[in-house]
Amino acid sequence: MKIVLATPLYPPEIAEPAPYIKELAKRLSALHEVTIIAYARLPEKVPGVRIIAIDKRQPLFIRLIAYFFALLRAARRADIVYAMNGASVELPVAIASLVTAGTLIIRIGDAAAHERARRNWRTGSIEQFTFSRARRVVIDAPRSRPEIMPLEAYPKEEFAAYEASWQAHLHTLEDIFNHAKS
Amino acid sequence: MQNHNAQQKWEKYRRHELAAALPMLQKLGFELEPEQPHTLGERFLMAGKRDVGGGGYKLVLLGTRISDGKKVVVKISSDREGMREIHTEREAREILRILKFAYQTLHAPSEILYITGGTHTISATAHIDQEQAFLSRPIKEQFDLSLQAFKAQESVHATAYSHTRAIRKIFDIWGVKEYLDSFRTSCAATLKDDPSNHALAESLAKAERFLVEHCDTVEQYCGFLTHADFVPHNLRVYQGSVYLLDSASLHFGNKYESWARFLNFMLLYNRPLEQALLQYVHDNRTPEEELSLRLMRIYKLGKLLEYHAGTLPQTSGDLHALSKKRVEFWREVLESLLEDTPLAQEVIARYQRERDLLRSEEEKKRQEALH
Repeated sequence: MKIVLATPLYPPEIAEPAPYIKELAKRLSALHEVTIIAYARLPEKVPGVRIIAIDKRQPLFIRLIAYFFALLRAARRADIVYAMNGASVELPVAIASLVTAGTLIIRIGDAAAHERARRNWRTGSIEQFTFSRARRVVIDAPRSRPEIMPLEAYPKEEFAAYEASWQAHLHTLEDIFNHAKS
Repeated sequence: MQNHNAQQKWEKYRRHELAAALPMLQKLGFELEPEQPHTLGERFLMAGKRDVGGGGYKLVLLGTRISDGKKVVVKISSDREGMREIHTEREAREILRILKFAYQTLHAPSEILYITGGTHTISATAHIDQEQAFLSRPIKEQFDLSLQAFKAQESVHATAYSHTRAIRKIFDIWGVKEYLDSFRTSCAATLKDDPSNHALAESLAKAERFLVEHCDTVEQYCGFLTHADFVPHNLRVYQGSVYLLDSASLHFGNKYESWARFLNFMLLYNRPLEQALLQYVHDNRTPEEELSLRLMRIYKLGKLLEYHAGTLPQTSGDLHALSKKRVEFWREVLESLLEDTPLAQEVIARYQRERDLLRSEEEKKRQEALH
């Protein structure tokens, strides 16, 4: 499958969903053709994954337009557009979904943005419109990667749980993607 | 002779400033402690010099608020640049409390007094009492506390247009261009002050080539809040939280700049902590980040070498001999980083022995008060 991952945050950013998207791309790229579209400048590379970076330092309107056209180009060839919530991604993906064939799946990975959308009519309307365009809204989240502390024992159990949570998450996503495509 | 001049200039400034400060502070309800370690020893060599946040003559004094006996740290200056630095530090503290894009809260000492507009700028902040000095804590605690402070800084990442707009009037914003320019300026100053040191010239040229070769990796991790002088004497631990002092040294730049300063310091003062933090980065961060840290350590060594080479024309006797030893030691550290091989422990031990023999008693006292 050709999968586009649309995200507002991507490493070197540290806040979620940045680490999630990088890890997901790494894992999905073993089986699929993955493209990431992110607001970033010098994104961290993932072998075998195409990353399109939209410079966040531009004024809001300009970067929204740039993001939209980058997404439009990538989504035309894609089977799935898997987008993270947040107005700066929701608006371009929702509009692009009107003219592209790729199936839109939304994940609520930024709980704070979702909460803000519930309290603000403008971002709330964007979120509602985007959710109405999406085939599925996903809330499933794997665990965060445990930290290895040099002066402590290796977190063996935490890593096993982390790995298991990712396997389960990938299984869920593959199901959703396959179902959405058919 | 030049040593005498620099020291005399500082002594004159110190006497003059203290004479003016004492009655002013008394009138404002503060009294000063009889001993002021932050004005002694080799302090004169640092006067007016900073990497970030301005730089000018100022006094850092320890005192007490008479009304309730509360311990305070007073910063006072009648020097234009010194006054600006105190003001910048205050603005930095204030904006950090309200930044919307900071994910974690940064702790800073609370303000007790701030006066400006007259002949002097005076700032008094609460003295953060710590039960134990940072370096005398168990290594595990030192590791956890330093990591906590690094993460708090990293949580402030200015990436968007609106972020930059919110901070650009208060903080310097550095990218790879600023780091390279600053490194080149430092190299030129270092070689001017130590012109016959060919080994040093060669090491610095190699370092510059290395930084240029990896300039994208320096730029990649820019946009983060970072502290240009992140060392134990600029942090205090109170009830498990780290308080950052010297907010004038905060700026937006490569997130590993504060790590780099801290690790270069710990290489000399607590090697196991340096090694533990390096291991943490290796195990938990990306290879690009590990390289970025190495690049920033090299950059910071350029600044450190500039500082120590700069003391050569200002010093004589034991202090001059010590400055020479310092330049040679940090050059060896620079070489080890360029080669990416750990520095032999014997090199560190030898330098520490020689340094302790050459340090003045007054400086030893100042160092004790610092860490």
